This record gives sequence, C-alpha cells and structure tokens, in this order.
Amino acid sequence: MRRLHELKPGTKAIVSDIEGNSALRKKLLGMGLTKGAKLKIVRNAPLKDPMEIEVRGYNLSLRKAEAENVIVEVKEE
Amino acid sequence: MIKVALAGNPNVGKSVIFNALTGARQKVGNWPGVTVEKKEGICEHKGKKMLIVDLPGIYSLSAVSIDEKIARDFLLNEKPDVVVSIVDASNIERNLYLTLQLIEMEANVVVALNKMDLAKSKGYRIDVRKLSAELGIPVVPMVAIRGEGIEELKNTIIYASRAPRKPVIRYSDGIERYIELLRSKVVENSILPKYPPRFVAIKLLELDEEILSKAGIGEEVIKEWISSVS
Amino acid sequence: MDFVSELALGRYEKIGEIIGKCVEKVEKPKTFSDLIDTVVTDKYVGIPIFLTFMWAVFQFAYSVSAPFSDAIDVFFSACSDWARSSIANPQLASLVGDGIFGGWGFVLVFLPPIAFVFVALAILEDTGYLPRAAFVMDRALTKVGLQGKSFIPMLLGFGCNLPAIMATRTIEDDVDRRITIMVNPLMSCSARLPVYVLFAGVFFEKVAGAVITSMYMLGIVLAAVMATLFRKFIFGGKSSPLLMELPPYATPAPKSVLMSARNRTLIFLKKAATILFIGALIMWFLTTYPWDATNGGELIENSYASAIGHAVEPLIRPFGLDWTAGVALVGGFLAKEIVVGTLGMIYGVGEEEVADVIPEHFTPASALALMIITLIYLPCLATLGILRQELGSWKWTAFVIAYELVLAFIVAWIAYGIAVGLGVS
Repeated sequence: MRRLHELKPGTKAIVSDIEGNSALRKKLLGMGLTKGAKLKIVRNAPLKDPMEIEVRGYNLSLRKAEAENVIVEVKEE
Repeated sequence: MIKVALAGNPNVGKSVIFNALTGARQKVGNWPGVTVEKKEGICEHKGKKMLIVDLPGIYSLSAVSIDEKIARDFLLNEKPDVVVSIVDASNIERNLYLTLQLIEMEANVVVALNKMDLAKSKGYRIDVRKLSAELGIPVVPMVAIRGEGIEELKNTIIYASRAPRKPVIRYSDGIERYIELLRSKVVENSILPKYPPRFVAIKLLELDEEILSKAGIGEEVIKEWISSVS
Repeated sequence: MDFVSELALGRYEKIGEIIGKCVEKVEKPKTFSDLIDTVVTDKYVGIPIFLTFMWAVFQFAYSVSAPFSDAIDVFFSACSDWARSSIANPQLASLVGDGIFGGWGFVLVFLPPIAFVFVALAILEDTGYLPRAAFVMDRALTKVGLQGKSFIPMLLGFGCNLPAIMATRTIEDDVDRRITIMVNPLMSCSARLPVYVLFAGVFFEKVAGAVITSMYMLGIVLAAVMATLFRKFIFGGKSSPLLMELPPYATPAPKSVLMSARNRTLIFLKKAATILFIGALIMWFLTTYPWDATNGGELIENSYASAIGHAVEPLIRPFGLDWTAGVALVGGFLAKEIVVGTLGMIYGVGEEEVADVIPEHFTPASALALMIITLIYLPCLATLGILRQELGSWKWTAFVIAYELVLAFIVAWIAYGIAVGLGVS
C-alpha cells in the first residue's frame, strides 16, 4: 500500500482508501477517487508540485499534500 | 413561466448553452450576499416562456463550497420546474455523479449531453437512447458550440415540464438497506417534510452538515439508528 | 461503516454499470492536446515558455489597442479645443472643454486596452490555458500565501489592476480570492511607469533602468509578504485544496470570446467609467477654482487643488516632498496616469519640460520616496470601485486603503532614511 503523492509519472494504481478531514474527503470522492478507481500518474509540475493524474477519463491536478491522503495499490510502475 | 435551472460541472459548456437559449435576453448580477455571478435569462419557444437560471459550475451537491451551497439552496428552495443536467460527453463518468445527485433530489432532470464531437474524437461511442432508458430521464445529445441540439433541448424542456419524470435509481443492496432504514425514520419522525424523504435519508447517511443542522439532529443519533439495523 | 465514501462509491458503481451498457471506448490516440501539455509543462522549458507566452498575449492586447486609444485621445482633444474656442463664457468653456470633454476623453482612452485585455483573457480561458498556468505556478504561489489560480490576475495587474481584479472570479475559494484581490494593487500597473521613468531618469540617470525594475520587484515582494501575513493573521492560515481539472485544449469560439469580453467591458463601463468621469470632473473643479485665483485654470497654484496639496504636505515633508508632490499624489488617487501631467500643470510647463523643473522640488532621496509612495499608497479610483464590488463591503475596501497607506509610509520612510544615510541627498 502506497500513497498517491509518492508515485512517479507513468505509474498505474487503484484507489484503496481516502483519509483526511471530511471536507477534503468529500471533494476527493466527488471527483472520482473512490475505492477501486483506476488512476495513472501523468506528470509533476515543473516545480515538482502539484501532480497531474488521469482518473475516470479525465485529468485532475492536485497538490502532493492533498494526494497524501489517497491510499493506493500500485499495479504497474 | 417554466422555471429552468442549468446545472453542471465547470467546463461543460454551460455558458454556451445558456447564451444559445437566452440570446440577448439575459441579466447578470450576483447571488444574494456573495460575489458569485448569477445569470438569468428568458427563452421563448413555441409560445412558451422559460426563465433560465445558470447555476454555478459544481462537481457535486455536497454543499461544502459556496458554489455548491448556492446551487443546492436554489434547487431545494426555488424548486425549478426542470433542471437541465449538462453533461460533458467526453468526460461522462465524473459528470454523471452530479446527475445522480440531482435525481436523488427528485428534481425533474433532463440531461443535455454536450460535446458529443469531443467524445467521438476521444474514441467514445455513446448509445443515447440506452442511456436515457438506464437513467429514466430524457437525454439530448448536443454540440452546443455548433448550435446542434439546442432546438431539441428547448423541446425537451417543455415536454419535461408537462410530463415530469422522477425515477428512483437504486444503488447496491448493501447501501439501499440503510437508505431505506433512514427513509422510514425520516417519514416516521416527519424530518424536513418539505424535502423528498429519500434525499433527506441519503444526506443524513452522508452526515451532511447542513441537513443535520436543519433537521436539528446530531451525528450520534444517525449513528445509533444505523447500528440498530446491523 | 463510513457512508460518505460508501455512497460516493455506490454512485460511481451505478455509473460504471450504466456506462458499461451504453458507452463503448475505442483506443484513444495521443491527442494534440497531450503534445502541447508535454511541452508546456516540461521541467526545464515549461516555465520560460509559459512566461514568454503570457507576456506575448498581453503585449499584443496593449499594442493592438493603442491606435484606438490614440484616436479617442485626438478626437476628444479636438472637441476640447473646439469648446474652448467657441464658447463665449470662459467658465462654461472651461467646464465643457476641459471638464466634460476632457473627462470623457480621459475615461474612454482606457476603454480599448481594457477591452482587449478582456478579449485576451477570454481566449486564455476558452483555450483551457488558465488551469495550466495555475498548475505550473501553484507551488511558487502557495509559498507566499497565494495559489496557482492567482497567477493570471496578479500578472494582469502589471498592465492594469482593474481587469486584474475582475479576473479573480476564476478563483473559487473565497479566502484565496480575497487575498489575491487585496494584494493585487501592489503589482505596479502601467500607469505608474511614467512616474518611475520621469524621476529615475532625472535622478538616477545611469542606473535608471535598474531603479525602475526594482520598483516592480518591490511591488512583487511586498505582495508576497502581505499575502503571507494576511493568510496567516486575518484568515487563520486556512487554505483550500487545489483539485483542479485540466480540460483538453480547445480552439476558442469567437462568439463566446467576444460575448465574454463584451460583458466584462460593460461592467467596466458601468462601474468604473462613471466613477472616473465624476472624479475627472472633480479634479477639473479643484484645479480650476477659485476662478479668479487661477486665471481661469491657467495657473493652478492658488486653486483648491493646491490647497489640498498644502494640507497634505506635512504628511510627506519627512520624505523631502513639498506641496506640489502633494497635489500630484492627490491626482494620482484619481488615476496614476495623471501624476506627471498634474506636476506639469502645477509648474506651468508642458509634460516634456517637467523633467527640467523637477530638480528644483526634489532630491534623489525624495524622488525615491515619491516613486515608492506612488507604487504603494492607494489604488486609483476606478480600481477602488472594482475592489469594493469584488470584496463585497466598504469595510474590506477601507482596510485595503488603510494598509496600503500605512505600508507606503513605512517603506518610503525606510527607503528615504537609507538614501539620505548613504548620502544620496
């Protein structure tokens, strides 16, 4: 089990759980980061943060501090 | 006059559709008390007049952000005759999340499936009729920026205002058990009778702050009810 | 059982079910959009490309609009001259010529650049570029109390703070938007540049360029400092998550771009233009009356405006500034563009000759103080109008005015002290 913010571009993973305060959780869940959702790390910003991921057919950018709350299972690095 | 709300995620082409429906007959102001833009306009079609209200772009109706609160309050209090859920066809999964929440709210929903051209270029092929059957509500395919689908949307809005459809979309059995449980508690105790019971039940289950405080119920009560089933 | 995530999951499961029955996906080729992104967000060239592109877009907006502004200027000057020569009563002639036509001309000259900036902004929005800008700049900006989406509004501030503040509507979070609005005036708008050019040119000849650049840098640094302080002390360190969609790039639709630009320009006309026009009329009145004392507006030394300048003088004397600077600064409240022109009026010379007269009233140190005060002290009236609208209350607007005035005096005082200490006097 790893956390989303650690993953490198190109990695494919599946969402396992979302931690954190309820407001952030609700937002992350609403944006499609639910248990079992497949995602792929696209890139990091030039300054290393935020990161861009592909999930549920669209591209989402989020800060590593936010991504830290997403627990994932890595499928392919 | 038919009151119509336009709801949808940011970037789905809501402004384009709003402008296409209302043309020059629009009024821009602010939602009361906040610096969020409110756009309203009139659309006349086949002798019918529609008041079109453009809600802020939102991803969900969880009422955490100001935009969501504005949208939710409008839908619950103003009770528009028709709610057009504008869905970006090239991004359909995430977009339908809001649509489902609108259906939970028992709004009279019509789906405007926009950006069909973009969906096609991304490799998606969507069976619109099947989608409409699955959701239980009308679905209008559109490429709003090219003006395609606008007339059909106007027709569908008028049709829906006369023949509203409020389907119930059931989730997994596991969850439905609890929804049903809370729904009966809501009916039994007459909790927020002005809102649809299934909607209230789902919001209570989600421990939605606004609904909890409006109902005057604490989280512990909900948790107690839930554990009484297991 | 955690129902928040269970329900979210339940909804997405249902969606998955529905999509499985209705949507087919053919393999997606690498789109043009992806290619653009690969270049634009690249580790090394991403930021330089991005900054160059931003500069080009706004440079374009200002250059294309220039001929229109010039035409408007010429037209209203002609109207002004006509009024002054054809109307018999001198006071009426002055009112119509300088006051009304002058006022109209003054206000409408702003219209083209602002309209074109709105066009440029709408293009940036519709192409999907804004989220990329925010994505690239987010880390740098969160370190100073702002966030990625603040970038474009802050950048726009270098041109004009009015459209910049209007552009903050793209920032959803209220706290983030508020802070961006409150520090935006510190981004040195183009109207302040003539003041720097004049004074740096006269007093810091060899290093004029460096001095001017440091004014801009000072503004940026102060914005960063104030944003950090505001976030920490006024808003309790609260910050909101980014969670921003990066939509595919799209070709902007001309109708949509024009409609957006039109709507925003109308807001400018409704809000700012009326205030500006009234302000211009007031300025005309203050510099023209008492009528006898000023020979009908020819010499403003005994006008109400100069009386105000004298009243303000005690506040700015510590920086070696006199009442003429006071009048200019009061004029700058109306619009920073007229600071240099106002000095010309007071000294009774044309704008080109002001440079020659300046050394009689300023020293290098006091010139520095004046430039700094111009940078910081107040947003211009039009910007103030939009500030009030976007902040939603007079309370917040008053706070912005207050902090800027205080900050201006503190920084000017420090700079003046250092300059005098270094013997720059």
